[in-house]
Amino acid sequence: MSGRRIVVTSGKGGVGKTTTTANLGAALAKRGRKVALVDADIGLRNLDLVLGVEKRIVFDLVEVVEGRCQIRQALIRDKRIENLWILPAAQTRDKDSITEAQFLRLTTDLAEFHDFVIIDCPAGIEHGFRNAVAGSQEAIVVTTPEVSAIRDADRVIGKIHERKMPMRLVINRIRPDMVKSGEMMSVEDVCEILSAELLGIVPDDEEVIDTTNRGEPIVLDSTKRLAAIYDKMARRLEGEIVEFTRLEEPSLFNRIIAGWRG
Amino acid sequence: MHDAQRETQDAAPRETSVAASPTVPRGHAIVITSGKGGVGKTTTTANVGAALAARGAKVALVDADVGLRNLDIVLGLESRVRYHLLDVIEGKVSLEDALIRDKRSPNMSLLAASQTREKDDVDTNKMRALIEQLRESFDWVLIDCPAGIEAGFRNAVVGAQSAIVVCTPEVSSVRDADRVVGLLPQSLEPKLIVNRIRPHLVRRGKMLSVEDVNAILRLPLLGIVADEPEVVMATNRGEPIALDQRSQTGASYRSIAARIVGENVPVERPRMGFFARISALFGGR
Repeated sequence: MSGRRIVVTSGKGGVGKTTTTANLGAALAKRGRKVALVDADIGLRNLDLVLGVEKRIVFDLVEVVEGRCQIRQALIRDKRIENLWILPAAQTRDKDSITEAQFLRLTTDLAEFHDFVIIDCPAGIEHGFRNAVAGSQEAIVVTTPEVSAIRDADRVIGKIHERKMPMRLVINRIRPDMVKSGEMMSVEDVCEILSAELLGIVPDDEEVIDTTNRGEPIVLDSTKRLAAIYDKMARRLEGEIVEFTRLEEPSLFNRIIAGWRG
Repeated sequence: MHDAQRETQDAAPRETSVAASPTVPRGHAIVITSGKGGVGKTTTTANVGAALAARGAKVALVDADVGLRNLDIVLGLESRVRYHLLDVIEGKVSLEDALIRDKRSPNMSLLAASQTREKDDVDTNKMRALIEQLRESFDWVLIDCPAGIEAGFRNAVVGAQSAIVVCTPEVSSVRDADRVVGLLPQSLEPKLIVNRIRPHLVRRGKMLSVEDVNAILRLPLLGIVADEPEVVMATNRGEPIALDQRSQTGASYRSIAARIVGENVPVERPRMGFFARISALFGGR
């Protein structure tokens, strides 16, 4: 078995890489795939918090690479979702502690017994980014509809093209009411600027902050609209043709507010 | 060694403010950092800079995010960028030629980052010298630090005399901020800005409060800034909200600037906006 190795990256920080990694991974696992999530943000790890496994970390990625433990000893199994595993980053080391070759070796090893190895890339385009990309065969670029995020995404897409890796785009935190009033770029605008194929569109949802703080990916609650959106993203990643969810029209109340705000 | 001594002396006469009084002949450099990206470092840099400039101080903003610059966009100056930080460091142009005067605040200038180069291209000693040079002609030098704790972070910190840590009320942001505080030299005496607070969510227990955040970080509080759509809208227009006299968020930045120059202004808590209060009644937004 050799699973797919996918990096989730963005250039700019805080656009939702970790949230996307956690939820997309959870959605794939719920569909029965064996998924390993790798936190490549050595020194500033967060994937463990988002998944609520921070208290269960015994070994980390750097210790695996340095041969101080077996890869299976460092993997943490998610208790809520079968088939979902997390390889945490080291918190007390820095990104230079690992080379690109070591990272590639690590993700290749993981792909031997997982269908998907999803790598949560650190912000920026420094050493940590190069490591994460070196360990991947394909990329998901996350951006938000803001000029600064798009500019950084464009820079990162250029770097991914240099490596001839297939790449798809997730546009995060769209606010349909703001798009409508012309205060936010639309999905079409963003896709045109970045000329990239779309994997998913995720609306801005206040609940994500709360579920993230509690370490529960929103995908766990299938009544949430975002759960359905990540599930569709997972299906698209597996090659299904799935229509994009039409982001709902803003409620009458929000439209009135938008009108008042003028 | 000499540098370190001089920095300690500069930093000595300090009380509650970030810096010594601005009447000291040489300017003061502050790095704005966070660890986690996307928490508002660049917005904070632009707005605190504009607020300081509006008080009459001479302000230089330095974008240390080589390769992923954005401060020029936030200030609406992207089409005026001709030379950048690395051009100056490598001696291709003079500092005066690379500085871009802000459109709205004539006292404020930007030194843009290079978009096509890497952070590893920056020589740490030359970066320190560049900030020294800026401090000779500006009262305040604000350094917009890149996300992360790699080479870009180290270069952004090297010339600073004090630090502002920006943190949002999210566990991941708090954890990264805590890590950054541990990496900053103690002499920088970091102060905290809690950014993007939504009072209605804090009240419903759906968001960490300022106290929750600072129970972990334990830093002197420099300011609290609410999460208001007007900040994004102002940023998209390239106009810092700090210059909008009617805006509550703008007032938060102006009071941060007042505390930086050493005025004794209490930290005010953002009130829920009118619309937020109405939507809170409906349980929404």
